[in-house]
Formats: sequence, C-alpha cells, structure tokens
Amino acid sequence: MSRVIVVRWAGGKADFGLDKATYGIMLEAALRALRQTADLDSVIGDMFPRGAIGIKTNCLTRKLNSTPVALADGLAEILTERGVDENNIVVWDRSNRELSEAGFLLNASFTGRRCLGTDTSGVGYSSRFFESGGVNSLVSEILTRTVEHSINLPVLKDHSLAGMSAGMKNMYGAIHNPNKYHGNNCSPYCAHVSNLAPIRSKHRMTILDAVRVQFNGGPGYMAQYIETYAGIIVSADPIACDRVGLEILEHMRKKYGLPTLENDGRPVKYLQPATELGLGESDLSKIELKVLSADQTGSVRDGELY
Amino acid sequence: MDRRAFMRCVGCTAAVAASQNTFLPRFLGGIQNAMAFDYADQLSSVEARYYKKREGGGVECGICPRHCYVTDLERGYCGVRENRGDIYYTLVYGLACSLNVDPIEKKPLYHFLPRTTALSMATAGCNVNCKFCQNWEISQVRPEQLNNLELPPRALVDICRQRNVPTIAYTYSEPVIFYEYMYDTAELGHKHDIRSVMITGGYIEEKPLADLLPHLDAVKVDLKAIREQYYKDVVDGELQPVLDRLVQIKESGVWLEIVYLVVPTLNDTDAEFRELAQWIKTNLGADTPVHFSRFFPQYLLKNLPPTPENTLQNAHDICQAEGLEFVYLGNLRGHQAESTYCPKCSKMLIGRRGYTIFEYNLDGNLCKFCGREIPGLF
Repeated sequence: MSRVIVVRWAGGKADFGLDKATYGIMLEAALRALRQTADLDSVIGDMFPRGAIGIKTNCLTRKLNSTPVALADGLAEILTERGVDENNIVVWDRSNRELSEAGFLLNASFTGRRCLGTDTSGVGYSSRFFESGGVNSLVSEILTRTVEHSINLPVLKDHSLAGMSAGMKNMYGAIHNPNKYHGNNCSPYCAHVSNLAPIRSKHRMTILDAVRVQFNGGPGYMAQYIETYAGIIVSADPIACDRVGLEILEHMRKKYGLPTLENDGRPVKYLQPATELGLGESDLSKIELKVLSADQTGSVRDGELY
Repeated sequence: MDRRAFMRCVGCTAAVAASQNTFLPRFLGGIQNAMAFDYADQLSSVEARYYKKREGGGVECGICPRHCYVTDLERGYCGVRENRGDIYYTLVYGLACSLNVDPIEKKPLYHFLPRTTALSMATAGCNVNCKFCQNWEISQVRPEQLNNLELPPRALVDICRQRNVPTIAYTYSEPVIFYEYMYDTAELGHKHDIRSVMITGGYIEEKPLADLLPHLDAVKVDLKAIREQYYKDVVDGELQPVLDRLVQIKESGVWLEIVYLVVPTLNDTDAEFRELAQWIKTNLGADTPVHFSRFFPQYLLKNLPPTPENTLQNAHDICQAEGLEFVYLGNLRGHQAESTYCPKCSKMLIGRRGYTIFEYNLDGNLCKFCGREIPGLF
C-alpha cells in the first residue's frame, strides 16, 4: 500500500501562490502524516541519513507556473532546522537561466544553500549512459555525483503530449536528451526515465505543487486555464503521487466541461508501465490517500480531495 | 564586451584560423564542460520554415517526416527547434558547433571535385537517433549543451573565399535540422561560386528538399539499411521516406552518392546487399556510387565488433555482380576498393589510399584509357 498525503490550505489567499511560512505549515503536516509520527526530527533523520539532498524543480515557465521559490524555501527551512547542513541542500534544474527566470537565486559556492543548473561550469552530464527500456541518456551529475538523496518538487499541470506533467515527467529535466522521448504520449519513456539507476535509487519523495493548477493548455502557461487548488501532494511513491495528481487534474477538467485527457487524445499512459517496473503503485484502490486541511492557526484537520 | 560581441570575436578567430590552414578542433566543446551560457542570448531566434500552426495551439513541424507536434516552450525531436508562443524557431541558425576543412573524399564523395577540400560544418541536433552514431556528442544533444561559434552564412562563405575552399559541406550531425542555416548559406555561396554539399540521412520532407536542391551541388545520403525494421529498431526513423528522397535527388540532377554502414548482425546479410543493389540499379541507376563503410563500436552499439573485412568484400562483390558500376569500401584503409575503376576497361581511374589520391587517370569526365564517360563532377 502506497501512502499519499494531500494537504490543502484553508487559510485563503492562495490565488497568487503561497508564502514560505504557509508552505512550511503544509509540508510539516504532510511529512508527519506520511511517516505517521509527530517527531519531524526522526522523519528527516530517517529519510536523509547523510549526504547532500537534491531538490529538483520544474522551471520551464519562468515565474508564471514553475516550482514556487517559497515551496523550495519552506522545504529547505524544515531540513536545516532538523540539522541538515545548508550547503548540503542543492536546489537544481537543467539550466541556470531557467532557475533564475523562475526567481531562484543561483549559488554554486561552498556556503549557504546551493542552487544551480546542470549547465553550470564544471557540472554537466554523466560520462556514461544510463539505460532503461528504450531510454538511453546521460544524467545530470548533480544527481549522479553531487547528491545522495533526491526530492522531486514538480508542478501539477496539463501537458500537451504526456497528458499530465507531474513528478515523473519532471525528471525529463535530469537527462540530456528529453526531446527524444515525447512520442506515444511519453509512454513508456516517462516510466523508463524514472527507472534510470540514479533517478530511481536516489528518489526519496515527491512533493507535487498543486496550489495553482493549469488544467488545460500546458505545459506552457495559459492564465485562462489556471484553477486554485491550494494543495500539495506528497508521497515517497512517485507513481502514486502522480496518480492522485491525475485525479485532481481530471476533476478540474470535468468541472470546466473539458474532455477527459483520454478523450482529448492525451491519455496518461506511463503510469501502468511504471508500475510494471516496480516504481510504485498506480491503482487507486491500492493507494492509501489521506487528505488534510491546514490553516494559519496551525490546526490540521481532515480535508477533502475536491 | 557583451556576449554577442565576444561571440563575434570568436567567429572572426575561427575565420582567421581556418584561413591560416589551422584546423579548428572538430568538437569545440563537450557536454562534460557545458558552460553556463545566457541561453536567450546564446541561441538563435530565427523563425523556422515549413511549419504550420495548429488550431487550438501548438505548431506542426514540416521539415521532416516526423511532423512533430510542438506546444509552447517545447522542442521537436531534433532538440533544436522550439515553439515560443506558437511561433516556431530554429535555435541553431548561424551557430556552428563543429568546423573543419576536410578533404572532399572524407564525406565521402568520390565523384565530386576529387582532390579538393570542403569547409565542413555542423550544428547540434539530429532528427533520428542511430545507435551507432559516431558523432553523438553533437548530434544527440541540445545546442546549449555545446560551445557554439557564431558563424552566420556570410562568415562561412567568407572563410571559403579567403582560403580558396571551393565547397561547403553540411555534415557531421544532420543538416536537415539546421535547414534554414544551410539553405541561406548554400544560396549565398552560389552567388560567390562556392558549392554546397549536404551529407544527410535523407530523412526530410519532399517540399523542403525540392526547394533546397537548386542550391546544392551534391548530396551524400546515408542509406542505413534496406529494411524498414532496421530503421525502426536501430535508427528510430523510417526507410520509405528516405528511399523516396533518393529518387527525388536523382531526378533533380544533383550529384548523388550513397553510403551504407555495414553493422555486423544487423544489416549485413547477402539478401540485404542484393536487395540494396537491385533497388539502386532499378531506381537510381547502376552508375550511382555506393560506399560500404566499416562499422566501429560506438555510442549505443559498443557490444558489437567492427565489421569483418570479408563482410565488406562480400557486399562489394554482390553489388558488382548485380551490375552496380561504382562500389567502394570505406573505413578500410589500403583496400583496392577505395579506388575508382573504369566500368568499361577496368583500369584504375582514381587511386586512393585513405584521403590521399596517388593516381589520377581522368581527362575531364572521360577515362584516359578508353574514353568512357564517368559520371560525376571532375
């Protein structure tokens, strides 16, 4: 049984995104529920025993609909407050340009929290290919050499080819040749990218930002298709996290009278092959879903998915 | 100095280097040492040709048979064409990642201005993904993963004129994906008596090729196999469009040569060689030069051995027996099938060892011994 935690913000004012403190409250609630303990010190200690922690963002659409800086900040603060060395936190994506344009402050130095693209001088891609199924790719050396643990910090949105862009699709940003793997609704490529050895072995958790969800017209930003959901979806299971994200996305499409992704010719096909690779669980009946609602008073109650 | 000015300087340096017969390194940068470029400034923003906007958003690329559907901020399969606000851009116009002056025999073009050189250039990207690619470091990456030289068409033509290089070769990666850059350079080159040759896999749509051919002087096509399944499994492409384009090139009158890389166990049976020869003879003519090239383990096919010499010899013999007049073996230095022989009197017309020509017995296009006309541009 895979566990997925959805935390929704009940404090309002989410239409323009949330701030670091708000994300902090939501993340703490999610981590406690995910590990079923109130002791966050042990949660962090158990999940990230030693070594650097990579936080993979999705910065494709600049500040419009990329991983919010406030979410990365909130997560980093939780980690550092529990003893993780700030310099052992590496916020990253494929390019410095995309990170900068999404509002992240680049820092490749030996002090402070690091933030860098794979294209940073001296970083680059692995010298050897990693293979899974039909995917043969070089993988960002941030993942292969710099970090021991990977937290995936994507954004939930519609995708013109894959149907949905969530956690697994975000790992296309870790390989050197993503353009080769968009055929057949990105399937089974999306599954195989997540199955590449460094990606699979270092993945610890996906935190899927669903505060402002683009339910159509993605992955580029289209303001008319943005709906405020005010939630984050957290799981150690990359497939289960995406599966729950898909439920939310389809619900929004239905609400706005749009066809299902399947009827729109963009079925999300990659979840099943990913399950067959043993990456996680895509069957909703085998996913333990917990929905919480949090507000500024710090109170956390049961919430509703829709 | 801003980045554009800097890149212009680099371009000038490249021109000077070439003009002093100092070959630039073929791979000017590696993805291991990718630099933190200012992306927007580094890559070009020239609108691509042969695309159409789709109703409801997105564009459909029409340059090659893939017809990639590309939505905002995404790229096509080639990795060098990007949709920005439903305008499709080529990101590599004027940005060469490789530049070298090669003997024309290296392309290989054996019936096209032998003993001359070609300014050979490439950009990042490719519209297929051959598992044996020997240039994958440039063809299978995105342009921002390489160090590029800003060399607009005018700069390439100027280098040729300054160095007396008669030809520009679009090669190393797949020129179809930098079509606009190639087209403009070839067009400008002709105005200055600089010829252009395209070294390609031939995976291009009919219309772009038809528009391009008047500006080309020769095309070498890598016909990777004669079986559709091989194209699917090893190339990630399709055979039939390539065959169609071969016929199109031949009918246009632009000089055509074919290379067939013989990969052990994958495309090296007698039946395939025979089928290939028959198809060429029927559709292109027996006088179309065919080069069988030796495979060496590369990229994703490191598990296979180099092609045995007797396999290549076998391919050569089968094609000759089927009536092809000019069958060559490549990557096999010192083999007699590197040389050109007269189909009528069997005398050696052009003796080659590697890229060196040690004997030349043509008088214009005619065999010096029997007067038989040899096709090509000599």
